[in-house]
Amino acid sequence: MKKPTKQVLTWRKITESRLFFPIVALTLILLFDFIFIPGFFAIENREGNLHGSLIDIFRNGSTVMILAIGMTLVIATGGVDLSVGATMAIAASVAGILMNPSALKNEVFFITDPNYTFQPLWLVITAALAVSLICGLWNGVLVAYMRIQPMVATLILMISGRGIAQLITNGLRVQITYKPYAFIGQGWVVLPFSLYLVAIVFAITWFITRKTAIGMFIESVGINFRSSYFSGIDEKKIKLLVYTFCGFCAGIAGLVASSNIKTSDANNIGLTTELDAILAVVIGGTAMSGGRFSLLASMVGALVMQAITQSMYAIGVPAFALQAIKAVVVIFVILLYSDQVKGFVQKISAPKKEV
Amino acid sequence: MLRMLGNFFSGNRKFIPLMSTALLALVAYGIGAYFFVGMRNPQVFFNLFRNTSYLLISGIGMTFVILTGGIDLSVSGVVALTTVASAVLLRDGWNAWVVVLLMLAMGMALGATMGSFITYMKVQPFIATLAGMWFARGMCFFISDDAVTIDNPVFQILGKTKILIPGLKELADQQGTPAPYISIPVIVAFILLGIAIYIAHYTRFGRTVYAIGGNEGRNEQSARLMGLPVNRTKMLVYTFNGFCSALAGLSFSLFVSSGHGLYAPGLELEVIASVVMGGTMLTGGSGYVFGTFFGVLVLAVTQALIQFIGSLSSWWTKIVIGILTLTFIGVQTVLANRKSGKTTQNTQELMAVRRRQQRLALGIGLLVILAGVAIFSVFKFRSGSSNQAEADTQCVVAPFREDEAANLVKNGAVIVYHRTAGPQCVDELFAIYPDGRITGSDGIKKVEKQIAPEEVEQLLTAISVDHQWFTNEIYSTYLNPCRQCFAHYIDISYNGQAKSATGVDGTTAMPPGYAFALAEIRPLLPEINPAP
Repeated sequence: MKKPTKQVLTWRKITESRLFFPIVALTLILLFDFIFIPGFFAIENREGNLHGSLIDIFRNGSTVMILAIGMTLVIATGGVDLSVGATMAIAASVAGILMNPSALKNEVFFITDPNYTFQPLWLVITAALAVSLICGLWNGVLVAYMRIQPMVATLILMISGRGIAQLITNGLRVQITYKPYAFIGQGWVVLPFSLYLVAIVFAITWFITRKTAIGMFIESVGINFRSSYFSGIDEKKIKLLVYTFCGFCAGIAGLVASSNIKTSDANNIGLTTELDAILAVVIGGTAMSGGRFSLLASMVGALVMQAITQSMYAIGVPAFALQAIKAVVVIFVILLYSDQVKGFVQKISAPKKEV
Repeated sequence: MLRMLGNFFSGNRKFIPLMSTALLALVAYGIGAYFFVGMRNPQVFFNLFRNTSYLLISGIGMTFVILTGGIDLSVSGVVALTTVASAVLLRDGWNAWVVVLLMLAMGMALGATMGSFITYMKVQPFIATLAGMWFARGMCFFISDDAVTIDNPVFQILGKTKILIPGLKELADQQGTPAPYISIPVIVAFILLGIAIYIAHYTRFGRTVYAIGGNEGRNEQSARLMGLPVNRTKMLVYTFNGFCSALAGLSFSLFVSSGHGLYAPGLELEVIASVVMGGTMLTGGSGYVFGTFFGVLVLAVTQALIQFIGSLSSWWTKIVIGILTLTFIGVQTVLANRKSGKTTQNTQELMAVRRRQQRLALGIGLLVILAGVAIFSVFKFRSGSSNQAEADTQCVVAPFREDEAANLVKNGAVIVYHRTAGPQCVDELFAIYPDGRITGSDGIKKVEKQIAPEEVEQLLTAISVDHQWFTNEIYSTYLNPCRQCFAHYIDISYNGQAKSATGVDGTTAMPPGYAFALAEIRPLLPEINPAP
């Protein structure tokens, strides 16, 4: 008699886990791909590196995955960061202009030498990340210390951020041909290099939020910032921290994105990715009102988004039209998590339990 | 005297943001008119309205949404969808008035859908409307991938009719200058403004709107407890904004007389910025519909100034708008905190907080003023040193010579390349023929030369195969070129396919493939004006 109860318990544990829904969604999408798109799961070994549609999902999803890590923490405090796309563009512009400053002289300069760079790589990356940290810090100050609503505060950087990025690149699209930089987004060490970046950022964030008290502080600020304040948590510093960290993640994502397309394009890098990132977090089950969060579930959420995108491409839906489908998915997912639907489901399932 | 002024200001504190916006618009225009002769032209003044009629229309709807404490980010999507859908329907021969009604109905339906998600499903407004924007933008590309031109006579009349200003016409006739005019969308926008002011301030519905917003959603609950029809009002507000977005879309398509899914990028941000600048609190509950008019005016003057300064590129508009929005939000926050500070107990701590906030606001204000002065002095310095500013303001950007290009293609040219604008206001038109002949002029001298036919073939394959000229990757972009940027028009026919597209560089508004195609063509024409 003990066995079945134990099974029921574990099944319950599984369904109540935050990972349950995103993984089911991912499985469904992959199942769809398996049936309708031949060769979707084929992985070939090219000179020791693995290639294939499945790997592409991970590789193309890496920017959103990195963004989702930062965004999860921001959303967990009950805020939101709309400026990550603009921050990506700013970071990419800084990196681009440091490697190929020809745009400053107002000329589009097509470099062919793969070893040409104006500044050394370490400086390029440090500068880009430093600038994105400043962007995040700016958001954090506005939200935590000036008490502006997070959506509005980050909207300001979203408006002017692309302008700033264009200011940096002088409004031109900067070509990046420097080989070592291209490795960030295009390199492979058995698996795509950007995946290792994701893993590193994830591991560090996971360690900090789950092995120290900071994760609990973040959740507590998200659930009720006033009572957290009274229980001795400096909620302002926590907010400042998460927005700064989110900016930092956006900076890394900007580097990956720009090295992926070998250009730093102030107008198009990170366009609408803030939505992808928010969506990934929402699919991962973190409530927009803040509170408990799961980094791993957000990552799976990002993969769900990328898997949808990839399979739509594979069926032949044009890139721009894809937005409409994503929009429907967003609304569907949010409704699924909403209290109204939950209440409705409970109403339906309640009489069954009685029987 | 000073005390009277002080009393006046403290008595009418709620009008401060509104008045400062009006003052800002006037001062900015005054400064522009002082420095640039061209800006004194009455037509330039009326163009402020002509160029921003869609912004005003959409701003009016947004004001209501923001007053209820919500936000609508779907504006630009609905505008783009309206342009595309109306263009395609008109191309298929529908009656223009039916199309107009259909578009308005579509806008209202979209608004109502988002409104119902927000009201009944308790989805956060910005998420629901973001999804709405995605949906609308995505649908554009299900309808049409390319830009569709509108050549319907009714739309042409609506868009191009010049309405002369009664008093100024005679004056202009006396002076022998062309009479200044406005367009029909401007009139529509003003009528809508009048109606909206009436609705907001003199009807029960308007008062409910004000009652719902503010105080971080707590007022909504109070309104509900008072028995006000909160749900219905919210639904109506989002529906009205959908209507306004569709109307703005129609006005936009009259303005550019074509439809494309990439039109009006980031319009919602400009709309929100102008509503905020108009003195409406982003938390809702306080503000004026009329203020939005001044907010739009500030935006229009900013854009005009940046165009007239010329050495500044169009992205400065974004930065300036961002700074202005921040300033206004900062002022609002301080004012709001003051208000709430009065109602609660006046402890010393509270006073300290208030003082700190005042200092912060003062600091930000000073910083913004300093930044403004610094930026302005940089222009002065720059324009003074180059001595070109005066010449620049007189330069008129030549329109694309599309008919001439079409003729050249008819005569066998495979590539027609047209470039206008730039600091010297060039107007170049070149045609490349399959036999390697290149003819054209750079506006000053004629150029004729010969290259190898293989080179032409190489060029064509590079552009059409490598850079995918005939795919959706290449599309026309609409953008007012700044003085420093060039506007390009390229027409390519290859293997029975033909496609022309326009783009503007200097800002990265053109699609990536376009820039690569440009980079292939430009080296063949070393004689012509190099990029600055």
